[in-house]
Amino acid sequence: MAEVVGGFGVPHNPHFPTWVEQGAPLAGEITRMYNEVERRLRAAAPDTIVFVTSDHYNTFWEILPIFTVAVADSAAGACDYPTIAPRELSIDRRLAAAVQDHLVRSDFDVGRLQELALDHTVVVPMAFLAPDRDVPLVPVFVNGFLRPFPSARRCHALGRAIRDAVESFPEPRRVAVVATGSFSLEIGGPRISEDSHTGVPDPGWVERVVELLRAGEIAQLVDETTDDRLERAGNAGGELLDWLVMLGTIDAAPAVHVDVQPQFGHAYASWPCRGSSA
Amino acid sequence: MSSYAVDSFCRRIVHDPELRRTLHESPEEALRAARPALTEDEIRLLLAGDVGPLSRAGANSFLLHQLGRFELFGLDLPSYAERIRVEWREERSRGLLSSRPHR
Repeated sequence: MAEVVGGFGVPHNPHFPTWVEQGAPLAGEITRMYNEVERRLRAAAPDTIVFVTSDHYNTFWEILPIFTVAVADSAAGACDYPTIAPRELSIDRRLAAAVQDHLVRSDFDVGRLQELALDHTVVVPMAFLAPDRDVPLVPVFVNGFLRPFPSARRCHALGRAIRDAVESFPEPRRVAVVATGSFSLEIGGPRISEDSHTGVPDPGWVERVVELLRAGEIAQLVDETTDDRLERAGNAGGELLDWLVMLGTIDAAPAVHVDVQPQFGHAYASWPCRGSSA
Repeated sequence: MSSYAVDSFCRRIVHDPELRRTLHESPEEALRAARPALTEDEIRLLLAGDVGPLSRAGANSFLLHQLGRFELFGLDLPSYAERIRVEWREERSRGLLSSRPHR
């Protein structure tokens, strides 16, 4: 009854909404790149978005679960950036509960988060991808910030299990899966650039990830995403794991487009599923 | 030095506007009231905005940079970043820690 209608990947730089609003030099590029994903996401006509992200120590701190699904009615944000226009987003409680239940029964020990505030990693992408409509979410959190990380293989397998959960859900749903995050990024740490409090420590890895996404060589990407590679990618480099979860929910295929902003170590990409008009 | 106490404190700054106000008005008092408790060394380094040694001791960089973001202890993001670069200058000059230019 329910089906996955596409996979999508985007960044979540907390300054992008302000830069676009103020017409900063990158505003046009940011808008164009988000719009390319937004157009394909809208064409896929999802009823629900499974949104895969890595919490930036906002939701989880005293306890840091490896995988979590939020099961609630709604959540507001961005709790970490008051400069971002606040927004309350619906959560598809029934599907979220079914996904968590299915994952646990499939031997993924995924926690249930019953009350939450959204951080910029969700609110920023949704401001660009669905600025004027409320598409209910199923928020999925992957620990990509504080070691130990789940393995790339485990994350990809989690995506497969999420797809199984969606396809066994008895109610009709068109479900898009959106992942967010950088492939190489250091925030505030020793590997920042000479001109910023952030930096891209491993630009070669960004190029390699993009090459594999364009080629649809997802199994190869999973193989190459080792813990050591993520370590070299910077303290936010673990966000690639969110993309691997998303990629597990769809058949391996070349992305229909990949736009890269190498200075941020991130990309925008879409994988509409066959049958979707995206 | 317990980096968990420093990390916890920096995280709280993001979510507690009242703490940020107190830190601007009476920083030492706010630091001494922190729980988990900060050590004397940590309090001294934080009051001086001396983030380099805190980074060297293992403080979480993402959380530590919130001090610059919220302009606490005389820091802003450029001065925070410069202190981190200075602290890690040797490793950076040996190519052990590098990053492409941001812009």
